[in-house]
Amino acid sequence: MSDQSPFPEKIPHHYKPQVSWSDSYTKAHQAIESLTAILPAISPSLSSSETPASCLLHNSDVATQISTLFRSPKSGAVNDNLCAWLYDTFHSSEPDLHLVVLRFIPVIASVYLSRAALNKPLAGFESVLLAIYGYETAARNGQAITLSIPDLSHSSIYHETKQMAKSGATELHLAVISPSLEPHGTVRSTRRARIVGVALELYYSKISEIPIGSKIEFCEFCKIWSGQEHNDNEGENCESEKNDGIRGGRLNLPWELLQPILKILGHCLMGPDHKNKELFEAAFCACKSLHARSLHDINPRAILATASLLKLGEMAAHHTISNNEIDYTEIAITNVISI
Amino acid sequence: MCSSEEDKLVIEMAEGESPDLTQIESDPSVRQVSANGVSMGTTMVEEKLDEGNIQEAESALRDGLSLNFEEARALLGKLEYQRGNVESALRVFDGIDLQAAIQRMQHSLGDKQPSKKSRSRNESTSAVSQHATNLVLDAIYLKAKSLQKLGKLTEAAQECKSVLDAVEKIFSDGIPDVLVENKLQETVSHAVELLPELWKQAGCYSEAMSAYRRALLSQWNLDNDCCARIQKAFAIFLLYSGVEVGPPSLAVQMDGSYVPKNNLEEAILLLMILMRKFYLGKTKLDPSVLEHLTFALSVCSQTSVLAKQLEEVMPGVMHRIDRWKALALSLSGAGQNNSALDLLRKSLHQHEQPDDLMSLLLAAKICSEDVFLASDGVKYAQRAIANSHGSNAHLKGVGLRMLGLCLGKQAKISSSDFERSRLQSEALKSLDSATALERGNSDLIFELGIQYAEHRNLDAALRCAKQYIDATGGSMIRGWRLLALVLSAQQRFSEAEVVTDAALDETSKWDQGPLLRMKAKLKISQSLHKDAIETYRYLLALVQAQRKSYGPLGSAPQVEDDKINEYEVWHGLAKLYSSLSHWKDAEICLGKARMLKEYSAETLHTEGVMHERQGHVNEALSASINALLLEPKYVPCKILIGAVLSKMGSKMLPVARTLLSDALRIEPTNYMAWYHLGMVHKDDGRIADAIDCFQAASMLEESEPVESFSTIR
Repeated sequence: MSDQSPFPEKIPHHYKPQVSWSDSYTKAHQAIESLTAILPAISPSLSSSETPASCLLHNSDVATQISTLFRSPKSGAVNDNLCAWLYDTFHSSEPDLHLVVLRFIPVIASVYLSRAALNKPLAGFESVLLAIYGYETAARNGQAITLSIPDLSHSSIYHETKQMAKSGATELHLAVISPSLEPHGTVRSTRRARIVGVALELYYSKISEIPIGSKIEFCEFCKIWSGQEHNDNEGENCESEKNDGIRGGRLNLPWELLQPILKILGHCLMGPDHKNKELFEAAFCACKSLHARSLHDINPRAILATASLLKLGEMAAHHTISNNEIDYTEIAITNVISI
Repeated sequence: MCSSEEDKLVIEMAEGESPDLTQIESDPSVRQVSANGVSMGTTMVEEKLDEGNIQEAESALRDGLSLNFEEARALLGKLEYQRGNVESALRVFDGIDLQAAIQRMQHSLGDKQPSKKSRSRNESTSAVSQHATNLVLDAIYLKAKSLQKLGKLTEAAQECKSVLDAVEKIFSDGIPDVLVENKLQETVSHAVELLPELWKQAGCYSEAMSAYRRALLSQWNLDNDCCARIQKAFAIFLLYSGVEVGPPSLAVQMDGSYVPKNNLEEAILLLMILMRKFYLGKTKLDPSVLEHLTFALSVCSQTSVLAKQLEEVMPGVMHRIDRWKALALSLSGAGQNNSALDLLRKSLHQHEQPDDLMSLLLAAKICSEDVFLASDGVKYAQRAIANSHGSNAHLKGVGLRMLGLCLGKQAKISSSDFERSRLQSEALKSLDSATALERGNSDLIFELGIQYAEHRNLDAALRCAKQYIDATGGSMIRGWRLLALVLSAQQRFSEAEVVTDAALDETSKWDQGPLLRMKAKLKISQSLHKDAIETYRYLLALVQAQRKSYGPLGSAPQVEDDKINEYEVWHGLAKLYSSLSHWKDAEICLGKARMLKEYSAETLHTEGVMHERQGHVNEALSASINALLLEPKYVPCKILIGAVLSKMGSKMLPVARTLLSDALRIEPTNYMAWYHLGMVHKDDGRIADAIDCFQAASMLEESEPVESFSTIR
């Protein structure tokens, strides 16, 4: 645990700064101002907005510009001012501005992981990822996240017959879903996947507030990461345009990366946004690619998870096409109405 | 929405037949209205509504059917709703003061409950009140539905919520099982089911969460299907929404009962309850529930729990082969490979699905990890390759990879040299052709490296190791270890140490154990014994600290089985001291090792070596024989006994020769065995054989890694 974090302004546990509205407003404006110095063209409406943080988050033009910059070959180096901007924006401790940073986790993770193997200096990306990792480590106090797996022999709040727990009932099964976190001041190569994985975990925990564009981008990356995008020629729906800086992007996918990826994918496919056709299709294709990949790795957990998602996706698509989802909350429409 | 325009709507009151006061026959296809014993057509009413004359339409209904204002409005609203005129329906509903009506209802019903009047009278007034209550609640519910259809979701949710609030106030102890009119129950059930959906559609996720819990934790007297639908919808919401709102409030918790403390736990609980409802026949089977549960449990790595769920699946729910396959995946995911293989054998039986690729590949993979199953694995892999065509052509490389791994494993126990080298070269060939198909698969490069290394093709192994480290960006400890071990086999110890140090730099403390152990051995190989002892000491401190700080929930190392335990460190130190003839220190370390692991062939072997080197032949033999009793195939002891016996005169030479040959059969690359076999041949006068053995021994010693390649996982 000798690692010295270079981030003195780490947020302590439970520390909730008392910020006034004007404070967050100012911070968001500052973020936009410093961004104008980096991006070639920024819509002036952004700086005049009443809700600057939210506008920044949802501005697809800004998102495209930033994504493009990240994909350029020289991005992510130590003097990359876009990375510096993300780092500073994340450290503003504004929840809304955190989202602005998290929105770019998919593209950062993708560019970073695909280049890490090339031994390129990526200190810019690493500073952002470490900032996020450090934040999560502090927020969790380094603790593991665990799960007590339910066991129906224990009575529970949803049991129909309310009876006292049997004294002889078995102990609940405890599962670690995210191991404990130790502080890291630098990215050691053997911890790289974990650090990126934690950033993805944080992305997932805020996913309901993340713009759909970022999720679609994430699904596109999943296809590239799987390295299986060309195995599936069934539909042109799954045709992915091979674009820009991320080529031959097949990644090593240890569980610490794959687990958060699958959770995010589950959300994209089955979450409240799944009515968005573009997102649903991107997620479905990503599932196909990752399922093929899990077969290549003969990874039982991944095979089970992706196969289930695929089946659920097919059922959902079937419902949408045949429009046979019954609305049980509709009243009976008959010729005979009785009160 | 609305049945065709020409359809007549019949509005009839719950009681009473319609007498012949009507212009129209009681023909269900013709529009007719009947209430309070009177029927009337809706044509005129509809015309008035279409003209926007709500009041006239209302008075027409009041007059025609002897209704009061609220009843007439409620019916009009329903009529408009059914005709699909939701905006007009809203205007109609807006005319009634629903809140006031609710309050009246509360009074009339609330007063009844504690009443001491006669029971029969009580019940009849209650029935009348319930009827009136439903009239109003139904109207609010339809208002909510109308708002939903107009996309005014928050308003819709608030209207819908007011239905539930009213019901909760009226029936403060929950809705009784009986005593409730069907119509009222139907409205309540509808509202309970609709509310969370509305909040969800409105994007108010925390309200949706509370609405779901309210639906499931209060007494609404829902029927099984409705309850199951809400449970499923809630589980899906919990599982995929990504909104964490916190556990259910303390108010609903009971002593000793299980309370989920986060989304995932709550979702899994609900899905398990749903599965049980299907089995008990309480609700109709919904196959998607099992898929959601499978996803939830696999994502949190709890496939052993999933296996239990699958074992409980009733016949008819899943096809038996699908069940076997899912079970095999779950068990294999939980590390129970033997049981998984048993199930795969069933599903791959010639009468079931002998050509299923996933089963073949998984079976081959499981077999590739066990020398005694490897030959079965070869067959599965070959079948997998043969079946990789069409849309599955991309899996051919995986089949070839598994074939290579199984052949390599099989080579380890082959009985003849000829057979072994044939298998080994086939294994390499197979892995090589796999690399052409599996582009970018770094695992394959690693496996090829191990195969080359075990084949003592060190240059090729070195190339693979470097390539693997590059491809993984140095993220895999096993890559660093392979590189260092290959270098050590090439007797490039200082380079191996540089690699080990680089690896240590890239590794966090808790993962350093195997690297430090390797470093200590590298020091020993360079006769830097003091450094080696220092390294072991550091490793010991690390292991002890780790044992203390690792709760049961500690962070898992990169490879689960790769934890160095304290026993290993003490034993390593004992061997080191013994090689330095520091008998006392060696004895102490050995004692510590023995305390941690009482029966161990390794410890007994070290003990035997120490006795032998001190000239205690009998003790050396007895320790070695004990070790063989524990582990009959333990090669170092066979060699030790062979070596000791070979020095006991010519009569013992045949026994020694048998033991050493046996050792070589198990471990053909063991240079010590070759060396001692050479000594036996020499003592027996077979000089040519002896020369061959010594040559093999010296060649092998020159390519001996500091640790066996098979220790890398």
